[in-house]
Amino acid sequence: MIEAIIQMQHVFKTYPSQISALSDVTLEIFPGEFTFIAGPSGSGKSTLLRILYCSEKPTSGEVIVHGMHITQPGFKKIYQLRQAMGIVSQDFKLLKDRTVTENITFALEVTGHPREEAKWKALEILRHLGLEERESDSIFSLSAGEQQRVAIARALVNSPSLLLADEPTGNLDAKMTLRVMDILTDLHQKGSTIVFATQFTGLIKRYSYRVIQILNGQILDGRKADTNKIHQG
Amino acid sequence: MIFFLQDMMRRTFRNMMGNLFSNLITIGIIAISMLIFSTFTLLAYNLTNFFNLWEDKIEVIAYLKRGTPSSEVEALLSKTRLLEGVETLRYVSPYDAMDFMEMKLGRQKNLLEGIQPAVLPASLEIQLKKEYRNSTKIKEVVAQLKKIPQFEEIQYGQEWVETFSVLIHILRLTQWILGGLLLIAIVFITSHTLQLTISSRREEIEVMQWMGASPAFIRVPFYVEGLIQGLLGGGLAILFLFLLHQGLFFNLPPSIQAWLAKIPVLFLPAKTTVWILLGGMILGFFGSIVASMRVLQYK
Repeated sequence: MIEAIIQMQHVFKTYPSQISALSDVTLEIFPGEFTFIAGPSGSGKSTLLRILYCSEKPTSGEVIVHGMHITQPGFKKIYQLRQAMGIVSQDFKLLKDRTVTENITFALEVTGHPREEAKWKALEILRHLGLEERESDSIFSLSAGEQQRVAIARALVNSPSLLLADEPTGNLDAKMTLRVMDILTDLHQKGSTIVFATQFTGLIKRYSYRVIQILNGQILDGRKADTNKIHQG
Repeated sequence: MIFFLQDMMRRTFRNMMGNLFSNLITIGIIAISMLIFSTFTLLAYNLTNFFNLWEDKIEVIAYLKRGTPSSEVEALLSKTRLLEGVETLRYVSPYDAMDFMEMKLGRQKNLLEGIQPAVLPASLEIQLKKEYRNSTKIKEVVAQLKKIPQFEEIQYGQEWVETFSVLIHILRLTQWILGGLLLIAIVFITSHTLQLTISSRREEIEVMQWMGASPAFIRVPFYVEGLIQGLLGGGLAILFLFLLHQGLFFNLPPSIQAWLAKIPVLFLPAKTTVWILLGGMILGFFGSIVASMRVLQYK
């Protein structure tokens, strides 16, 4: 029996202002799955992802990622968990005072990759995302779409076994969206698990991946995985 | 490992250069604080040194009652020699005392003409063991001497011994009270400056945490920064103190210099200097730990 890479059991998240972001969320995502978390803006998609990469703690419930009980009190291995995952957030989190290449090599260097290797890998991923001509430009000079591609490049450069992407194509045009989706599909076919939060139904319909529908912090549909669609790397 | 160390040092120096002004302020404040502490250490060291030199000369003089028969002197010497704290003793007869006075008066010794040595009392000059040459212990020996009926009066430069002991005590106490206060101040200042440094690099730290950099990878450069700040602050304090020591000595009037020639005004020994540098480093390091505990929580 395949063990889930992500397990959420009766997860609730209520902010101090009493706004309920997640309500009794229970789901399982298996290794090698490509899963869309679909729902309108404010439905709880980002909160769900932030809980998965330990940027937020749920108010209650249990969450297991990569076999780690991340909701246990005193959980200290956040960095180990994040080393195994790639994260793309809506605010990109890029270092504005550095170049495109430096932003990507930085991600590799902080996890112990030698500088030369980091540079070589960075240039390769930039070429995949059509950013090779902007490698020496500062982040300030990039458009929102280009910044988003740099954030995607940084998340993918480590070939993560789990990618958590929050609206990764939100600022991209149709052509670039398809290019990013091709790269993610390629990554998925190599065995990575991808959790892709989006509000664009057009994009979801284009691909026959699992869809978890979320509305007002509650899962409406897609709790169960279609195990036939799971790639085993 | 070498890569990690190289990278860590590179990141530490980049942090420091990127926040040069706040780093210079911290180093300056640590230097001033350590200079105050070191100055008191130097004063206490020299006064202790002077006191030790002077201590060697501390002796107790026990004057014999007039008319004490010379046949009793030998027994008295034996009895006194057995007292606790007595190292050596010498019997000074009235004739020896007269010779001593004549020597002291020099050309004016004729003032003593017509005075018979018998007028002067015989005495015992008692040298004490080293551990008894302080105001508390000396009193114990004096109390024992006072119990011997043949002694008329006991003298030991009481006021000097007590004043000097109190002075040294106050200086040492001030040094440590001040040291304690400065210690808290240095930890406070270092931790606050490092918090500023950390805040200015918040974005970078967030990305590091995002990418899964280990807590040690993020924190160690800040610890090293604290160590370097402490080392440079301590080093500057020692340098200023040395210049102050040299400058003061050479700028003193010749009369005072001549007087000081008999009392060596020493600089701090190498061991103490190393301790001050280490102290600076430890304080800087501790400050950086406090700062990182406050603002480097993994998010």
